[in-house]
Amino acid sequence: MINYKRFSLDNGLRVLVHEDKSTPLIAMNLLYDVGSRDEDPTMTGQAHLFEHLMFGGSVNIPDFDTPLQLVGGENNAFTSNDITNYYLTVPSENIETGFWLESDRMLELDFSQKNLDTQKSVVTEEFNQRYLNQPYGDAILKLRPLAYKVHPYRWPTIGMDMAHIKNTSLEQIKKFFFSHYAPNNAILALTGNIEYELAYKLAQKWFGPIEKRTVQSRNLPAEPEQNEARIMTIESDVPSTALYKVWHIGARNSNDFYTLDLITDLLAGGESGRLYTKLVREKKLFSEINAYLTADIDPGLIIVNGKLMKGVDIHYANDSVNEVINSLLNKNGIEDEMEKVKNKFESSTVFSNTSILNKAANLSFFELLGNAGLINNEVDAYRKVSYSIVTDAIRKYFIPSNCSTINYISTRKEK
Amino acid sequence: MMNNLQRIQPPVFPVEKVIIPEAKSYRLNNGVPVYTIEAGTEDIMRLEFVFKAGQIKESLPLLGSTCNIMLSEGSQNYTSEELNRSLDFYGVFLNQSAEKDYAGIVLFFLSKHIEKVMELSREILFRPVFPEPELNSLMIKRLRWYMVNREKVQNLAMDNFFESLFGKNHPYGYQVHEQDFEMITPSLLADFHNKYYTPENMTIIISGKIHDKTTDHLNSYFGNMTMKEIKKENSVNFIKGEKIKKVHIYKSDTVQTAIRIGSATINKRHADYPGLKILNSILGGYFGSRLMKNIREEKGYTYGINATLTSLDLTGYKVISTEVGQKYCQKTKDEIYKEIRLLQNVPVKNEEMAVVRNYMSGEMVRMFDGPFALAESFKSVWEFGLDNNYYYRLSEKIKTIDPDEIIELAKTYYNIDELYEITVGSE
Repeated sequence: MINYKRFSLDNGLRVLVHEDKSTPLIAMNLLYDVGSRDEDPTMTGQAHLFEHLMFGGSVNIPDFDTPLQLVGGENNAFTSNDITNYYLTVPSENIETGFWLESDRMLELDFSQKNLDTQKSVVTEEFNQRYLNQPYGDAILKLRPLAYKVHPYRWPTIGMDMAHIKNTSLEQIKKFFFSHYAPNNAILALTGNIEYELAYKLAQKWFGPIEKRTVQSRNLPAEPEQNEARIMTIESDVPSTALYKVWHIGARNSNDFYTLDLITDLLAGGESGRLYTKLVREKKLFSEINAYLTADIDPGLIIVNGKLMKGVDIHYANDSVNEVINSLLNKNGIEDEMEKVKNKFESSTVFSNTSILNKAANLSFFELLGNAGLINNEVDAYRKVSYSIVTDAIRKYFIPSNCSTINYISTRKEK
Repeated sequence: MMNNLQRIQPPVFPVEKVIIPEAKSYRLNNGVPVYTIEAGTEDIMRLEFVFKAGQIKESLPLLGSTCNIMLSEGSQNYTSEELNRSLDFYGVFLNQSAEKDYAGIVLFFLSKHIEKVMELSREILFRPVFPEPELNSLMIKRLRWYMVNREKVQNLAMDNFFESLFGKNHPYGYQVHEQDFEMITPSLLADFHNKYYTPENMTIIISGKIHDKTTDHLNSYFGNMTMKEIKKENSVNFIKGEKIKKVHIYKSDTVQTAIRIGSATINKRHADYPGLKILNSILGGYFGSRLMKNIREEKGYTYGINATLTSLDLTGYKVISTEVGQKYCQKTKDEIYKEIRLLQNVPVKNEEMAVVRNYMSGEMVRMFDGPFALAESFKSVWEFGLDNNYYYRLSEKIKTIDPDEIIELAKTYYNIDELYEITVGSE
């Protein structure tokens, strides 16, 4: 059970505090309710580029990292389709430096052309490193626009085109900041060796004076229901052929989320998952295979991907994946497997919550979803899933017309 | 008044002296050493079995790692599938690893499942049967993974870096080739297992909220096996670096070039190691390091660059690693050497010393935070026959090292003529 207290400042900043005296550290997580889904389709990649700029100095502090390192702290950040999340850990005696730093960059960034130019280059190298300089790196770039035609999830967080990054001006960056970075668009979580009273006092002191801002309202186009199978073939000089399949699912808050999470665990939760057992171990069609949810806030995807063994026909591999999924409709032995994945989910939740950083990130994210208390209810929600709910979900979601497939064909001649 | 808040840095408190809990040690009935570290708030445990069974012991490439992976691919009482299903059913996370010197398994689990975990661990460690069909399909899969990994410039660069440093004939250095995947047989694995996965070669490290019955269970599952005398082996395999220091490997159609610059060096047992650790941090060991500031934050040539210092049983090595845009390769190398020369000639200013001192002190707090970190930190000195005194020396050095000592270390350990330089890319 993770105990926490919560309060809000007059400017709208929501704050969550969880005391854990077993550690000498404090974790601070600041979540901004802005991600790549909030970008203009002609200017994608801004939320993530912006995350980089957040380390280039703020209005009163020329360099974010150095003062934090000076107090023994460490920090990083990530951007997703939905959120931008900044986090740090620091020995507890120096937590006020964390407040000073995070509040200053919420107050106002030091918008410098030099910093913008450098970070455009860094982001371009990040794009090259992650997506272009790796075999199969571009698959996910192709998969999104295949599955999404309208919703902003059709582009990746890093941006759909590096030209968008190149063309970003300092003016656009300023506008982005003031329309998304605001106390009333953020959630702060503090976990570890901190008392509630101190957290309250420091939050009032450092974040309290920042004024509420007008946040750009979110009005995203809903993705229309997909009603025919989509198939794309890519040919590339990679070591082996790969298969990518995705199906649309509901939003993160929908009732089916934990059901589908459980289904992906039945399929691919470890080496005893069905896909691994049937297709890697028994039939030897794949060298590796995985299944997971994107866990996006708006309706997301189930992703199944695997690399084929040499000489295996991609259509046969594809049919075999569908066959394994449908095998879950056969009741034989399923109860044991469901108990197994439920136990594993429980144990992985316990392990995940031993880290103060994970606790801070989870509290912030669940608060954004509308209820920080979910951090204590996830295991229950997952345990409640019954076999009939599983079969209903399989029949509802795993249908060909809801599926997009990429056949990523290796053109390499082998000796 | 709120509105008059002075937005200046709040007082900086020195990071408190690190307190490192001592591991308790005892022996099982047959003499197997056990170390325990009680820590954490949740009813979970981390149980590690370590063997001196890493690559250094293998007579053929892939033998050590394959033996380790195959431990969970079937035992006297369980098929591979049953083993994995049982581990999953009890919510156990199993990590298997074979590194350059040591190999073994680590299990993470809810304390209440301790007995089941012991039973499964014994199956995995002492009753594997190395079935041929499982071995064959593993080797086919591993060959696939290998082919994918060798497409990545960073892996090609690192493999070649080790070969240059430690030589084509030493297990620390040799590269794996496609034909190596055909050489491993069940009987080779069984021999390797008989020789190195033995009670006399085993150490157990436990941390977390340790279950009351732990010692009893350990004794009943592992304390009855007979221990043989360990024969001293005469190592005849010397480390010998390649003569050619600069290697470029051409790889077509890459957008980035991987760079690895470094050399073999001292390990944790050497008195200079803590100082070298600090020098390494200043150069490229954290986000505020000189390489990161210069090459990423100032010039934007890369998404990341870092310097690491690693200890091995027979030696150590240091390496600067980065992937940069093709056109920035030469400029990046020039800047790396420039930064090394600066450290050899210009004293580090006090402000920068203060940042690195405090950053590293904070890092030490993180190294001992929680049961998992504690076990890993324990193991990483235990492997070298050292104890917590190593950490106290490091902590002291972080507080007291002066800029002249940094210069001396940079001159002694970063002689540019002795550094290997490996690049992989299409130019």
